[in-house]
Amino acid sequence: MAEILRGRARSRQGLFREWIRTRTPANSWPALVGLAVFVAMLGLQQLIEPGTQRLLTSVFLFVALAQAWNIIGGYTGYASFGQVAFFGLGAYTVAVLMNSYHVSFWAALPVAVVVGVVFAVAIGVPLLRLRGHYFAIATLGAAEGAREVINNLTSVTGGGGGITIPTFGTDAPTPYFGKPGFYLAFLVLAAVSVALATVLARSRFGYSMVAVHEDEDAAGAIGINTTVVKVVAFGVSAAIVACAGAFYAFQQIEFYPTDVFDASFTVLMVIMVVIGGSGSVGGPLVGAVGLQLLSQFLRVNLGSFNQLIFGAIIVLVVVFFPQGVVIYVRDAWRTRHFSVLDNVRRYRL
Amino acid sequence: MSRFLQAAAYGVVQGGLLGLVAVGFSLVWGVMNVVNFSHGALAVAGAYVAWILNVRFGLDPFLAIPVVAVALFAFGYVVQRGLINLVINAPIFLTLLLTFGLNLVILNGLQLLFKADDRTIDTSYASQSFAIGAVNVPYGRLAACFLALGITVALALLMSRTRLGHAIGATGMDRGAARLMGIRARHIYAVTFGIAAALAGVAGTMIATVGSFNPTTTPGQLTLDAFVISVLGGLGNMYGALVGGLVLGIAESLGGLLLTGTWVNAIAMAVLIITLIIRPSGLIGKALYGGRVEV
Amino acid sequence: MLEVRHLAKRFGGLWALRDVSFSVSEGEILGVIGPNGAGKSTLVNLITGHARPTTGQVLIAGQDVTGRRPWVIAHDRVARTFQIVKPFRGLTVRENVAIGAMHGNERDGSVRDALATADELLELVGIAKHAHAAPTQLSVADARRLELAKALASRPRLLLIDEVMAGLRHHEIESAVELIHRLRDSGITIVAVEHVMKAIVSVSDRILVLHHGSILALGSPREVLSDPRVVEAYLGHRYVNRRSE
Ligand SMILES: Nc1ncnc2c1ncn2[C@@H]1O[C@H](COP(=O)(O)OP(=O)(O)OP(=O)(O)O)[C@@H](O)[C@H]1O
Ligand SMILES: [Mg+2]
Repeated sequence: MAEILRGRARSRQGLFREWIRTRTPANSWPALVGLAVFVAMLGLQQLIEPGTQRLLTSVFLFVALAQAWNIIGGYTGYASFGQVAFFGLGAYTVAVLMNSYHVSFWAALPVAVVVGVVFAVAIGVPLLRLRGHYFAIATLGAAEGAREVINNLTSVTGGGGGITIPTFGTDAPTPYFGKPGFYLAFLVLAAVSVALATVLARSRFGYSMVAVHEDEDAAGAIGINTTVVKVVAFGVSAAIVACAGAFYAFQQIEFYPTDVFDASFTVLMVIMVVIGGSGSVGGPLVGAVGLQLLSQFLRVNLGSFNQLIFGAIIVLVVVFFPQGVVIYVRDAWRTRHFSVLDNVRRYRL
Repeated sequence: MSRFLQAAAYGVVQGGLLGLVAVGFSLVWGVMNVVNFSHGALAVAGAYVAWILNVRFGLDPFLAIPVVAVALFAFGYVVQRGLINLVINAPIFLTLLLTFGLNLVILNGLQLLFKADDRTIDTSYASQSFAIGAVNVPYGRLAACFLALGITVALALLMSRTRLGHAIGATGMDRGAARLMGIRARHIYAVTFGIAAALAGVAGTMIATVGSFNPTTTPGQLTLDAFVISVLGGLGNMYGALVGGLVLGIAESLGGLLLTGTWVNAIAMAVLIITLIIRPSGLIGKALYGGRVEV
Repeated sequence: MLEVRHLAKRFGGLWALRDVSFSVSEGEILGVIGPNGAGKSTLVNLITGHARPTTGQVLIAGQDVTGRRPWVIAHDRVARTFQIVKPFRGLTVRENVAIGAMHGNERDGSVRDALATADELLELVGIAKHAHAAPTQLSVADARRLELAKALASRPRLLLIDEVMAGLRHHEIESAVELIHRLRDSGITIVAVEHVMKAIVSVSDRILVLHHGSILALGSPREVLSDPRVVEAYLGHRYVNRRSE
């Protein structure tokens, strides 16, 4: 007994080593399925028409964004309504560097990520002391503020007139990727963010995010530095979002502050995570794929009614599956209890 | 100097109106801990009710106010009872999302019904003004500002003097205890949301009278203003909303005078964030629930 | 091991704790009692950094830790339980304890090792059979045991327990008392806040009585029980009634 209470010195292991070591045949199938899907998506690119390719590219983008939001909003429990700030900053960093300084895209990309992370830490340290709606509103304000600053720094960013990345001829620091290139880029980005989330979820850091989410006093009492956990989670999320913003900027070639700081990017991330199921890896994945395909379907088939129906679907899913579709299905499967009406009672007054 | 005074005067009357936009939003947030993304949409819905009454029946917008208030109250009551109450105990981003979805439905519904055009309610007096020295004060805005003041005071009295007000306040502080005292929380929440919707509708009517509105950009702007004002004034604090509205109104009109471009918006956001960091309970009063991690 | 000097805490106009000084030596079990609102939980919060003292100092092993953040104090080998249990609801009982083993002192290098440690600790506090249950499914007594296991997982030298015996049945109290003695024997210094008189008397080496935020008495159980002020202010009818049952 004395031995357990004193603890045994054991060597520490890195994230990936740890994850690999804990694989068993029973818990390896999601990773294998994921790998198979990735390979299938790679192959699929040769077979599909440009329209579908564009749609899938946007699906990949949102998979990455939803996974990123889930790290801070789902696992850590800090519902950021300002993640688009990192998207916009990533986009503008790349555009300004490529446009004004002729830096290649691949050199600008890491700078964009660093800019996103630095901004996340700068606003995260004071704002992550706020709880609940206060945090949500403050981050929303930070994103709106960041857009206004970019909008008014006309000499650097071109302001409201937008910015253009040179992509053709001798002016281009990096040749344009074209549709297949961006399909591949966003696919890899999505795969990396899913893999990162999977490994994080079962790591020490993953557990500390969950502890912070559940109860910060209790987390502190067992030795978790809650400030560091929150800021790091915010920073990791920002890094993915800024990276996505950088690729998006290059893909768009020309854009305005209102495009890349559009609050509806943030809202979509939140919706995808919540509807899929927050605090899980599968939730944001299913949410992003499902919602992006659904909204495309609605746009094509319902014309001017599509936004109305989209809003109604959000309302219904929130009411009927408040814990998210993936988690509802998982729990229902485990408990053999499928009643949706009982599910509604969960959070009812 | 006179330009400065003119801007300040405009800021004051505009601020009163903004206070009315925010007071219902602040009430809902303070009592139920729900941030209502559809608040601006409700205001615009109210504006359309008054606009129709004006276009079809020639009803003066100030006389249309009771109709707008009743219609929006009923809508708000039903929304809370039938939807928001169902997820009221869920993590906050669910209520945020629910009201966001609602916002999309209302906005796009209005857009399908009325097109995306800018509308305004024309009256003979709204654009007339009188002069105090070098400062012009438009009648319409002044009346709207006084109405906002009157309604805010009436609401504050309702909260502090009536049984209903006490029930709302008690439910906001401790729902469990309030229920034990026999307060029907579901009903009280629905009434609270109904009141907030009615106030939004009235504010929308005033905005339509002194300016213009549309279903695409107006709601988002109003919701954002309501956020900022509620944070400045402190949640669930009626007078706080008025003070926050005045601060924002004056700051925006003076800022517009002194700063180029849209820097004034950036500064408004900076003020919002700094207020949240150093005084999450708002400039006056205190919040009903904890806004900050302790220690 | 623990020394508290002139500690005071004010909430608005209320002094929850006023000029409290005492020390606990290594290997000792100090019981803390007092009526509702006496300031017992506040005392624990001030020691573990979950609240900042208005004035006064907290020293652990001779080192001033006043105003340090909770995790800093936890890494100084101080653990605590919460009166209102705070399990991580989204995780299993086993994972709840494992988190402590991952982040506390002498922490386990990997999640897998931490889970193994958690299993041993669950065995120790006697809830091993609930390892894979959700913490919300536990009984009051088992939820308290989980709190204890979580605290132990960080391998403390000083353990502060806030009412782990409240609401337990007789035989459950006995096994809890025995467990606390075993923990002390393994070298842990313990501050035990309790309401249950019988338990505190049998478990403590010394007892501290708080009343309205001030120390009313401090001494061996026998001394404290016979102190007339204690009998009057706190034990009064409560203890007398219990004995006459
Ligand atoms: N965060 C707080 N804000 C304001 N007052 C507080 C706070 N925490 C405790 N108090 C007050 O401080 C006093 C002491 O509380 P404390 O919880 O320390 O008592 P206790 O001895 O643990 O009581 P119990 O036996 O009920 O657990 C009480 O009057 C309580 O209301
Ligand atoms: Mg207590």
